[in-house]
Amino acid sequence: MIIDNILAAVHELATIHTVLLMMVGVAGGLIAGAIPGFTIAMAVVLTLPFTFGMPPAQGLATMVSVLVGGLSGGLMAGILTGIPGTPSSVATTFDGFPMARAGKPGLALGIGVWSSFFGGIISAVLLMTLAPQLARIGLEFQPWDYFMLVMFALTITASLAGKNLVKGLIAGAVGLLVRTVGEDEAVGMARLDFGIDSLLQGFDFIAVLIGLFAFSQLLHDVRDPKAARKSLSERSTMHVRIEHLAAIREIAKHWGVLIRSSLIGVFTGILPGAGGSIANILAYDQAKKTSKRPEKFGTGIPEGIIAPESSNNAVEGGALMTMMALGIPGDVTAAVMLGALLVHDVVPSPSFIAEEPVLAYSIFIAFFVATFMMLGLQSLMLRVFVLVTRIRMYMLAAIILGFCGIGVYAINNVELDLWTLLWFGILGFVMRHYGFPLAPMILGVVLGNIAELNLARCMAITDDLLPFVTRPWALFFLIIALFSAGFPVYQAHMGKKKWTLFYLPVACFAASVPLFMMGGVPRSMLAAAVFAYGAYTLWQRATSGWRLHPPGAA
Amino acid sequence: MRRLNQDAVIAILLLVASGILFWSTFSIRVPDYGVLSPSTWPRIIILSLSVLSIIYLLQSLKESESESNAGQSVADRPPGFAGWVVYWKNPIICFSLFFLFLLTLPILGSLIGGVLFVFSLMSALGGLAPRDIALHAMMALITIGGMWTIFTYGLGVILPTGVIFSPF
Repeated sequence: MIIDNILAAVHELATIHTVLLMMVGVAGGLIAGAIPGFTIAMAVVLTLPFTFGMPPAQGLATMVSVLVGGLSGGLMAGILTGIPGTPSSVATTFDGFPMARAGKPGLALGIGVWSSFFGGIISAVLLMTLAPQLARIGLEFQPWDYFMLVMFALTITASLAGKNLVKGLIAGAVGLLVRTVGEDEAVGMARLDFGIDSLLQGFDFIAVLIGLFAFSQLLHDVRDPKAARKSLSERSTMHVRIEHLAAIREIAKHWGVLIRSSLIGVFTGILPGAGGSIANILAYDQAKKTSKRPEKFGTGIPEGIIAPESSNNAVEGGALMTMMALGIPGDVTAAVMLGALLVHDVVPSPSFIAEEPVLAYSIFIAFFVATFMMLGLQSLMLRVFVLVTRIRMYMLAAIILGFCGIGVYAINNVELDLWTLLWFGILGFVMRHYGFPLAPMILGVVLGNIAELNLARCMAITDDLLPFVTRPWALFFLIIALFSAGFPVYQAHMGKKKWTLFYLPVACFAASVPLFMMGGVPRSMLAAAVFAYGAYTLWQRATSGWRLHPPGAA
Repeated sequence: MRRLNQDAVIAILLLVASGILFWSTFSIRVPDYGVLSPSTWPRIIILSLSVLSIIYLLQSLKESESESNAGQSVADRPPGFAGWVVYWKNPIICFSLFFLFLLTLPILGSLIGGVLFVFSLMSALGGLAPRDIALHAMMALITIGGMWTIFTYGLGVILPTGVIFSPF
């Protein structure tokens, strides 16, 4: 069955047109990822209008290619200029730039490229094998569970996306509210339209996304007139040859770092809201902590490049896994992918892989193939990157704004979408300025109707609210939502207040309760393990006399 | 009385907006069918938003004005309204030109309107030296023209033609 699906997906993608589009996508992603200030999400969002006219598999393969290219593009800027192209490659600069400055830019790039490749392949394999299993678990979900899953996705995104949890939650609520404008999906009644006819159809999701993300980011980039007139990089020449063989040898020496960082990336990607920007730092930190020479980190050592680059490429496999198996995007780029599926009338849900196996496997295969393409195109794109860095920021911003205008109109051929783009561009710009994270808002826009539809289903079955706390999955998501909401407060007081000593053990005990309620041997064993870990942590803290350890202290 | 910091002002604005939106939910028609009233979900969100805004307001009132973390650093901003305009000049130009582009779209169409928008934005942000103007015109023509061609002929999307050059 799986083989049949894989063969059907390969047949779907194995056309010259699709392969060419994927190559263009990877190349475009590599360049977009390499440009500081131009995020991967922006590149994927801007690709979306081009894919409307394509068959779903082809359009999604193109978008996946941009995504894979973008994930690897950041390393070029990070290693050669010291300025990370994307937030996902911040940690790459810690060792990549010093290595390049020490006269080994080719080796640094090689390690980055091959780490990205291996991270992507590990992630693709896990995506293909685990997503169908996760979808099987998702089939157990009832509307109460789904509703709580959305609430969990929003709270964890809010708690991870910014410094201020309340601002993150406000952004999420605003996103949910934006989705309620217009006719409601259940009974078709006009809501929050203030008597304006054009608002009856609601705001187009893609126009909102492009406005919030791309438009506002570009305005932010050109705010400073001096910086806007500068080239992206002052370096006019860069003669670097990627040292592939030496890089593979270095990676082979540190394969443990590669595997661990890739797994960190996949796991981070599965968590809603936690994307590559968190994974690369987390993987770098873990690599440093477990290294025999932690003092060398930051001076230009291979492990310092392997860890962030393998993890940031592995993230998307995890994010796509949650999106395809549960219909919940793991990060903003996955939210855009979800939007692309919706545009093609495909609604991701636990039954998506079972009902649309060819499309699902096309995404898996595209992810896999695009990773290979990235490897081949990286050397070529390095030359283009040098050319692109000579463009001034204001020129790039003006051209992309023009693209946004035409692209958004192409979605529905409706002028209102362009006004939506403008108003949400302004809103996004103001929100960015006042420190409101945009990721929870985008997730709110994406998940708003899923939450409402499931709430309506719950109410249609029974008006009793108890299933929200008595159904194991709903309770599980509620508990982790509460603890993830409290996480920023815990982090702020860690090592200063006594109660923080109990936070992790209590979270483990609480999470084990619904796991026990689920029954079955594997889940009971998992529940026991979680409970035991909580008990062990508590015992450890008790034996140390409930002493507070400030963060960072040994 | 201490001056309100930016966070507090935003929180108050959010509360006012929540109030208006909550009031507007009473004009949502409730049909005889369906279990969940169309106004229930927006009300849940608005109430949550109000509670969060109150917490945000209390948080911001607790912080002294100097500790306020609202907004990014604007230390280099000249004082007064003129200073504000100078500081935000580029975003204001972008918004205004995009606004003009949208207003003139039914007349100029996406090709001419798009080229003019990109050209004027580049010139407004990058300077009006003759060499720059030529470069901006060329880049606007190539990029928007290329994009227009891809959408019109490659993807079969009908973009606004406008009334001036409808043969396009």
